Formats: sequence, C-alpha cells, structure tokens
Amino acid sequence: MLARPKLLAAALLAPLMLLLAGAFLLPVAVTLATAVTDREVTSSLPRTAALLRAWDGKELPPEPAFAAMAEELAAALEERRIGEVSQRLNFERTGMRALLLRTARAGPRLSAPYAASLPALDPAWADPATWKLIRRAAGPVTSLYLLRALDFTRTPDGEVQAVAPDQAVFRTLFLRTLWVSLQVTLACVLLGWPVAAAIAALRPPWSSAALFMVLLPFWSSVLVRSTAWFALLQREGPVNQALVFLGLLDAPIQLVGTRAAVLLATAHVLLPVAILPMAGVMMRLDPRHAQAAASLGAGPWLRFRRILLPLSLPGVLAGAAMTFLLAVGFYITPALVGGERDQLVAWFIAQFLNRDVNWGMAAALSVYLLLMAGAVAALLRLFTGRGLASAP
Amino acid sequence: MKRILAALAGLLLAATPALAQRELTIVAGGGTLQDHMRRTLFESFTRATGIPVRDTAYDYNVGPIRAMVQARNVTWDVVLVEAPDLIRGCEDGVFERIDWSVVDRSKFLPGGAITCGAGAIGWGIAVFRDLNRNPTGPSDWQEFWDVQRFPGRRTLRRGARMTLEIALMGDGVPAAEVYKVLATQAGQQRAFAALDRIRPHLHFWTGGQQPIELVNSGEVAFAAGFVGRTANAIRSGARLDLNWDTLLYSYDYWAVVRGSPNTANAMRLVDHITNPEPLRALAAAWPINPVTAAVANDAAIRAANPLMMSNHQDRGLQIDTEFWLDQGTDLEQRFASWLNR
Amino acid sequence: MKGPHPLLLVAAALVLAFLLAPMLAVVVLSFAPTEVLHLPPRGLSLRWYRDFLTNDRWVLATRNSLVVGTAVMVLATLLGSMAALGLHLGRFRGRGVILALLTLPMVTPFIVTAASMFFAFSLVGLASTLPGLVLGHVVVAVPFVVISVLASLSTFDDGLLRAAASLGAPPWMAWQRVLLPRIWPGIAAGAVFAFATSLDEFVITLFLAGPGQFTLPRQMYANVREYMTPTILAASSLLFLASFLFLLATEALRKR
Repeated sequence: MLARPKLLAAALLAPLMLLLAGAFLLPVAVTLATAVTDREVTSSLPRTAALLRAWDGKELPPEPAFAAMAEELAAALEERRIGEVSQRLNFERTGMRALLLRTARAGPRLSAPYAASLPALDPAWADPATWKLIRRAAGPVTSLYLLRALDFTRTPDGEVQAVAPDQAVFRTLFLRTLWVSLQVTLACVLLGWPVAAAIAALRPPWSSAALFMVLLPFWSSVLVRSTAWFALLQREGPVNQALVFLGLLDAPIQLVGTRAAVLLATAHVLLPVAILPMAGVMMRLDPRHAQAAASLGAGPWLRFRRILLPLSLPGVLAGAAMTFLLAVGFYITPALVGGERDQLVAWFIAQFLNRDVNWGMAAALSVYLLLMAGAVAALLRLFTGRGLASAP
Repeated sequence: MKRILAALAGLLLAATPALAQRELTIVAGGGTLQDHMRRTLFESFTRATGIPVRDTAYDYNVGPIRAMVQARNVTWDVVLVEAPDLIRGCEDGVFERIDWSVVDRSKFLPGGAITCGAGAIGWGIAVFRDLNRNPTGPSDWQEFWDVQRFPGRRTLRRGARMTLEIALMGDGVPAAEVYKVLATQAGQQRAFAALDRIRPHLHFWTGGQQPIELVNSGEVAFAAGFVGRTANAIRSGARLDLNWDTLLYSYDYWAVVRGSPNTANAMRLVDHITNPEPLRALAAAWPINPVTAAVANDAAIRAANPLMMSNHQDRGLQIDTEFWLDQGTDLEQRFASWLNR
Repeated sequence: MKGPHPLLLVAAALVLAFLLAPMLAVVVLSFAPTEVLHLPPRGLSLRWYRDFLTNDRWVLATRNSLVVGTAVMVLATLLGSMAALGLHLGRFRGRGVILALLTLPMVTPFIVTAASMFFAFSLVGLASTLPGLVLGHVVVAVPFVVISVLASLSTFDDGLLRAAASLGAPPWMAWQRVLLPRIWPGIAAGAVFAFATSLDEFVITLFLAGPGQFTLPRQMYANVREYMTPTILAASSLLFLASFLFLLATEALRKR
C-alpha cells in the first residue's frame, strides 16, 4: 500500500480540495468579480452600448445611438428586463430610473430623428453627462462600487471625488468596525489571558475542567449566546433588575441598543476564541524556565513580566488575530443588541444583499472586509513568523 | 472551475428527490394573520377547486426570491410582497404580470391593481401614546415636532421612507404637497433639518413590535408604529390612543413568481383570495385592511371593526412608491449618513 | 514548584463565571412561568418547552436543522477523514498550502463567506436550495473534522501498517483491521464537531437557506427580532444542552 503513497494521498485529498475550490475559493473569486463587473447596460442595451463605446465622448453621441437607445429601452420594458439597468444607473445618478422608464414607455410613439425626439421628451437626453454616464456604465469593468464603498464617486468626466458629506456612510462604518473590533480584541485578550494561564498552570483534572468551561461556550451557538444577552439586557430584564436591586441604578435604563451592549456581548461571544490559542501556546511552555527563575529568587511579578508574558506572546498574537478576524465580520450580535449607530460592515452587506438587491455594493464591502482580514493575517505572520494555520 | 461547480451542483440536485406535480405554494409574512389566512382564504380555495395549497412564511427579503427565479428553481407560486419590491421585481421579470382576465381588476381600491400585483392588505403607521402616562398628545405631525408642548422621547421607524415625509409634515408642509417638496434639493434639506431639530428626542425602531414595547415600558412618550399592531394591543386591553390623522399607508400585494410551473392555478388562487367572500371571513376572524373595495367599504365590517384602517384611510397619506423607487437609493444613503452623525 | 498564583486563579475564576453565567441564566429563565423575566424566577414551569414542542414552526425548524446537520455530518466526515489520511500519508511539498487552504474558511469573515456563496451559488442554481445550504455548511464544518482526524493520526504508529503489509495483508485489509480501529475516535469526534457546527450555523444559513427553509437558529432570530417570548429561551437552552452533550461525547472519544 505504500508503493505509491503520493498518488494515494492525492486521491484521498482530491475530493475535499475540489469541494473547497468549488464551494469556497471560486465563490470568493465570484465576489471579487461581482464588485468590479458592470454588465447591466451591456446586457440590456447591447447595441446602444456598442455605439456609445465607439462614440468620441464629446458633445452628444450620433443619431444611431439615440435611435438604438429608444428602441432597446422599449424592448427592455416589454421583455421586462429594464429593472436591472435602471437600478444600476439610478444608483450612480438619482433620476436615471425615472428617465429610462419614461423613455421606454414613450418608445413606440417616438419617431426619427431620435436625436431630436428624445430630448423633446426629457431634456436630460440633451445633456452629454447623461450619455457619458451610460457609456461609462457599459463596462465590462467598473470601479463604481469599490469607490462608493469608501464614499468616493466619479464626476461625469470620470474624475474621482469624495461624495457630498451628507451622503458619506462607509468610511465612518469601516472605522467604527475597526474600532469596535479592536476594543473587543483587547478586552478578550486581557480577560482571556488569566484563564489561559490558569489552564496551563493547573494540574489535571482542574486544567481539564477549566478547559471544558471554555470549550462549552465555544461550541454553543453564537446566536444562542447573543440571544441570551438580548434577553438579559431587556429594560425589564434580569441585568436591570439586579442593578436596581443592588442600588447601582435608581430605575432601569436602556441597555439593548447601546454600544456598551454590543461590546459586552461581542467580547463574551469571542472570548473562547481568544483563550484557546493562548492556552495552547502556554501549555507547551517549559515550566522549567519559571522554576529556574524562581530558584534564582525572582518574585511572581518579575517571573510574569520577564518569562511568562514574552513566552506566551505568540499565543496572545494568534488569539488576538483570531478574535479580530471574527469581530470585523460580526453580524448577529450587533444586529441583536446594537442600536442605529452600532451596526458594523456585515449589517450593511446583509442589507445590500437581501433587501436592496444591490449585489455590487455587497460585493465591494466584502472585498474591503477581506482585505482587512488579509492584512491582519499578514501582520500576524510578520510578527510571529507563522501563519494562522499553525496556530492551535 | 465553473464546470466543476456546475457538475457538483448537478450531482447534488440529482440526489434530492424530484418533486412531482406539486401543490400550490403561497408565501406570506407568517404569524397569527397567516394562520387566519390559511383557514379563511387558502383552505376555501382548495374546497372550491380541489387544488391543494401549502403555505409558508418568509421575512419579506426579496433576495432569495430573485435567486430562485435566476436559478430557474421556482418553488413558490404566490407571494405577499411590499409595493417597492413588487414594482422592481416586475420590471426585472421576477414576478408575472397579473392575468386580468382571471383576476377581476375592478374589485380593488384605487392603486390596488398594478401590473404584477393584486392588492392584498393595507398597512400603515400612525402615532400612538399610552393614555395613562400621557393623557394629551400631539394631534398632528406639527405638534409631534413640538417638544416644548409635548415633552418626551418619540420613536419613528429607522429608514428614510416615511421618516422624511413625516419630517416635512412636522415642519408644516401639507400632506398633499409632501412629495412635491421632497422631490427638490431644498425640500430634502428641509426634511433633514427638521429631523436635526428634534434629534435629541428621537429614537428609531426596527422590529414591528418595538414601538408597542417602548410605549408600554414608558421608554418613549409618542411612537409612530404599525397601526395593525397598535389596534391589536388596544383590542387586547391596552389603553392606547391611536391618532389616525397621522396615518401614512401603503398596500402589500399578492404576486405570482415568474417561472412557476403553476402559473394558471396561481392566478386563480390570487383571484380567489382577493374576492369579497373569503375576505369577509378573514376580516371577521382578524382585523385586516382589505384592498378589495366591497369589503373595505362594507358598512357592517366597518362598524364591527372601528380600528380597521379602511375606516380612516381617507385621513392618511398614501406612500408614493414610485417616488421611493426613483429617489430611495440616494435618500436612504443620506439617511444612513445622517444617523451616523 | 508551587501551584499557580492565587491572584491568577481568582481572575480566571471570575472570567469563567462571566463566560458561563449568561448561558446558565438563560437555562434558569427558560423555566419561568411568566413572560416577564425575573431572576431568581418566581416559580417553575415547562410552559415554554411545551410551546416549543407543540408549535409547528419550532418543530419544523428542528426537523430542518436535523436533516441539514445529518447531511453535513456525513459529507464532512467522509471528505474530511479522507483528506486527513491523505495529508498524513503524503509528506509532499504542497502540504503547507493545502493545510492553509483547509483553514481559510475558518479565518475568513463569515459574512464574506456567506455572501460569496450566495453570489456563486445563484449562478448555478444552488442558492436557496437544500443542497446549497448543505454545501455551505460542509465548507465551514470540514476543517474541524480534518483537525480531529489528523490529531488521532499523529499518535498512530505507521510501523503497524508496514508490519501488516509485510505479513502479506492487502492494503485495504491493513487499513480496515489496523488503521480504522485506532483512529475511529478521531473520526467520530470530527463527525460530532461537524454536526454541532451545522446545528449552530446562522450567517450562511441566512443567505443560503431557501426562503421558508427555517433552521433552529434562523427561527430563533426571526422570533427575537419580532417578539421576544421565552420560547426562544427554551430553544436556546435545548441548543445549549446539545452543545454540552456534544462536548462530553468528544471528550469521551478523545480519552479512548
């Protein structure tokens, strides 16, 4: 059986590799593609798109482009595929949906020369900016979503500029996501370190018991634990009752819907994720280092600062990185216990995907989230010389 | 790689038992209302036609419906959708055009019959307050904005739709002119400025039951919440005052999912469940806001349900769905930005 | 050497209490007789468990969860165990890359994984279908199987296989008689991990489950958003109990 171990190994690995390639890597690639693909104009108005691409982009396009626009819009309305293209253009400039629908409905009544009849219907057709916008949306690739996801946009002439301040959402959102994730990571590492150190220092069966108490929440659902906080933090819920009972509060206060609730619940949910890698590293530490230090007369504080802390650092970094990676993509917990100023990037991704049906924006936000996660993984590698795969 | 994925998909699909000629599947928002719909609307259709109907619930997220249509794996036939999703879905070919030779077009209230949808139920939001805690309260949106005369926190639904209309009315714009004003840059700025003015007193809810809970617990003094839920709370004994002069309303529609193998029967189902007789039975069991004129204007039903929205609809403002489809993306983003600040 | 510093033990105990307290509180509250939650509870009742067991929506969600979980368990255990064996046998150069690929789904933000699957699966008609949901769960569950089986393989002495071969046993027999009896606890533990992962998974389910395909977590979420009833706490407690049993099972398997 060991005659061709490599072949056998490859055969054993192949099915899973195919699955991961097909159901994970490829989908991520599709997301990257979705973030930069512009296909609505080309697929709904193919002839217009081709004519506009041939146009020099100055003044107004030639009559055939006007004619193609009128015909293809009417056809798209009739065949019911005008929604995608009108939403796509309306996303870049408000008013485009109304313009396209009005033109499509009037389509059969319009007559040549269309370069005159379209502007007569709506003066926007006499504005080169309208045509430039459509030409730019004729793809095949676009930076629109990636720009918008960072609160940038393009002028009709294609220059990048920041969106109006009253439209800016996403930079604040990313900063907030980063900030919340950092706070949660810090809290998890600070709270988790003593537990990890205790697990490593205790003897069986106490060490196993402590580990069990970390694994239990680790294996119970994130949703279950977030729901628990949601129930406990209600205005008439147990936490408020306890605080009033203890005399810390005069009357119950609002807890659900606050940033504090988000931080508390998220840190609680992610704490085991921080503890496990730290405990893994600390359990492998050679206790003789500490013993030697102790025999040389070093007190507990010195032993902690000079030996345990530096030696546990790889575990701390791995635990912090795992916590941070999960925190930046957190969805349920902030959605359940957070208020309107506490939602993170993931909430907007879900919103764009399920409610607004704006897949380009959902994909663009995902791309930046991936970049953030990749940067953290790369930083970890830089600091420890190891990747996450080797973390326990 | 795409081929691998497709092959895998094929394999898995082959593994699931092929669905034989299936029954009609109708999908609504769930809850008690749907339990009553099953008894009064769906089961009476089966009795009348012999066609079995299965009903299931969803959370009004249209993403999955689009995925289903795109994948040509349509397992739903009739679905209850909100107006903006219906119109967008209609333009995209997600929903079938209603066959008006099967469904009687003339039976609906104005706006109840549109290309891809047959009016199902009305819904609205209006201001209510706890009479024990606040014997007096704002009688219109302008007074809602008057935090001196009526102190206390107020809650509105999170989102630009409805909130911006409300803000303009709070700033003194008459209901009839709200959308004309909101269509202008100056009007939009005016709406946000009005929101700014009472921002410290504002709270925004997301789940439909929250306004009731917030008012019950005294956390807010005045809430704009779904009238159906408020009416239910009043019927089950809560001492709430529901102010119909602040009503903003719209309809949900029955739509047929495109690519359904049962389109013809689905149209018959849509016709049946918008007919007066089954709807009267539903209205007797549960206070709904029918979009079928014969039921909405039925004096007996009106008298039996003083809290039914149909009784008060003429005092409200109908939400302009087309406006929100044209301006919504921009305004919602600006609202999100405003919330962030 | 002396035991750990008392200060450390106190700190660790406090943090562990913080970790477990909310879950225990929920278990206690799930037996509340009223809708308003009090701690300590004013009386005991099984009212919310009865509601859970008799309400169609919860029963259906439980059934959906079990169906998906079982399918995920079978697929993930099969593929994961094979892959772990392959990794163990072949000491080839790409091993590190493959390990990294295996762990990628664990470190990619779940929301991105879920959104990506939604995009890609809609292209091939897998989104909003049961097979698509199972596939999605397998991707996030399979690393646990691989790690679990690899761990049990690391204590397996390859010499035994060589000995069996030198005695003339055909490879399949050597595997079946020598290898499997030694590593099955690892495989079984992996299966439990896979099932538990699927049972608890929420974000991928939110995007990939067909409309109307409610699993337990999805049903819980739908309920919490709308109207908080203690039935959710009963469901939470049952899921928590399941996690507890899974963990006990894997611990028992680990000790074999």
